[in-house]
Amino acid sequence: MRRLLTLVLLLPALALCEEEAVENMTLTVKPLLCITDNRNPSCDMAFLVAWQSALTGYYCLFSDLDDVPVRCWNEERMGQLSDERTVRENFSYWMTDRDPGSRLAEVTVEVLRMDSDDRRRKRRTRHVWDIN
Amino acid sequence: MSRQMTWLALLLILLLAGPGLAAEKPADETESRWRLGAALGYGIRSNPLVQSDDIPIIVDFDIAWFGERWFFDNGDLGVTFADNDTLTGSLVARVNSDRVFFGNTDTRFVEFDLSGAPLASAVPFEPPDRDYAVELGIELLTDGDWGALQLSAFHDVSGKHEGFEIHANYSYGWRAQRLYVEPSIGASYKSKDLNNYYWGVTPEEAGVVAFPYEAGAGINWQARFMLGYQISRPWSLSLVAEYERLNDEAAASPIVKDQNVLGFFAGVAYRFR
Repeated sequence: MRRLLTLVLLLPALALCEEEAVENMTLTVKPLLCITDNRNPSCDMAFLVAWQSALTGYYCLFSDLDDVPVRCWNEERMGQLSDERTVRENFSYWMTDRDPGSRLAEVTVEVLRMDSDDRRRKRRTRHVWDIN
Repeated sequence: MSRQMTWLALLLILLLAGPGLAAEKPADETESRWRLGAALGYGIRSNPLVQSDDIPIIVDFDIAWFGERWFFDNGDLGVTFADNDTLTGSLVARVNSDRVFFGNTDTRFVEFDLSGAPLASAVPFEPPDRDYAVELGIELLTDGDWGALQLSAFHDVSGKHEGFEIHANYSYGWRAQRLYVEPSIGASYKSKDLNNYYWGVTPEEAGVVAFPYEAGAGINWQARFMLGYQISRPWSLSLVAEYERLNDEAAASPIVKDQNVLGFFAGVAYRFR
């Protein structure tokens, strides 16, 4: 009975530890910005993806560009990889545990298109100054 | 007569463009019609006028709106009459850029006349004032892997200088991800009427301390170098250097001290998207 009581009292604390672990999952991606223009409509980039968790466990890295995990780690609390991609639009990387629906941490890579199909946006105006 | 023709052309274009105004929509649904931004930094544009101050540049605002036909671009108002894979043609109304130098002049008391003889009393002299002229013209834009070309021809429609200007500008940009470099060169032919209004000196304006001067037509040359670095989606760093050589007719004016106009700006820019 005492053991059961102890377990009941400890449950919130254990749950708290799990939450902190979830919150403590960090995911970093470099670079976070890809710039395209009319001459280079896509980016060929090697993204350095690194993650770190407070708890050792089974974790998988997913991206919007794949239906299957980019990579999974078993009994690890950190990892990194270089992911080569050809990118044309925004996409995200995220980490999960064994539940593929759980996004423990997520990072979005932005694709910024600098040229417009509208030529008028590139016209030079002749004012005092014009840096655009 | 030419002014009447210009106004007639404007009216015609407005009538042609009118029905399209109600159906305005951005060319690319994901692209905002607005382009709003501001740059904060430091720069100077030299002033070729005598007794004048250089023009400081601390803040540069970018306010533009682009509809299917109509657009407003930092003071220029335009209506596009042709847009295809090769060319974009617009009718544009703008304010002449030569006037900007005349806003930063100083009065100086001169004690000698044109021959160098001392005057009985010091005479105040300031470069004559000039008005802004509203100009209407055609602008053609084309681009490709070879770069971008902008051609334009503008005529005064405000009765200020009654002249015209023909301008050509070529630019080529290189991008290496966040880094962007764009040199450009340009030339502007300024008619005798335009040149003489801004750079000529009438006998009344000359007084006893300057020569009357009548300027003819001429060509200004421009070169520009822009370097940009994209820090994040809205933030970027900009470094711009610009050189303009005034035409010989303008440079020979007694109110011009320097044929070369130099400018630079370095700053950080923010763009709302």
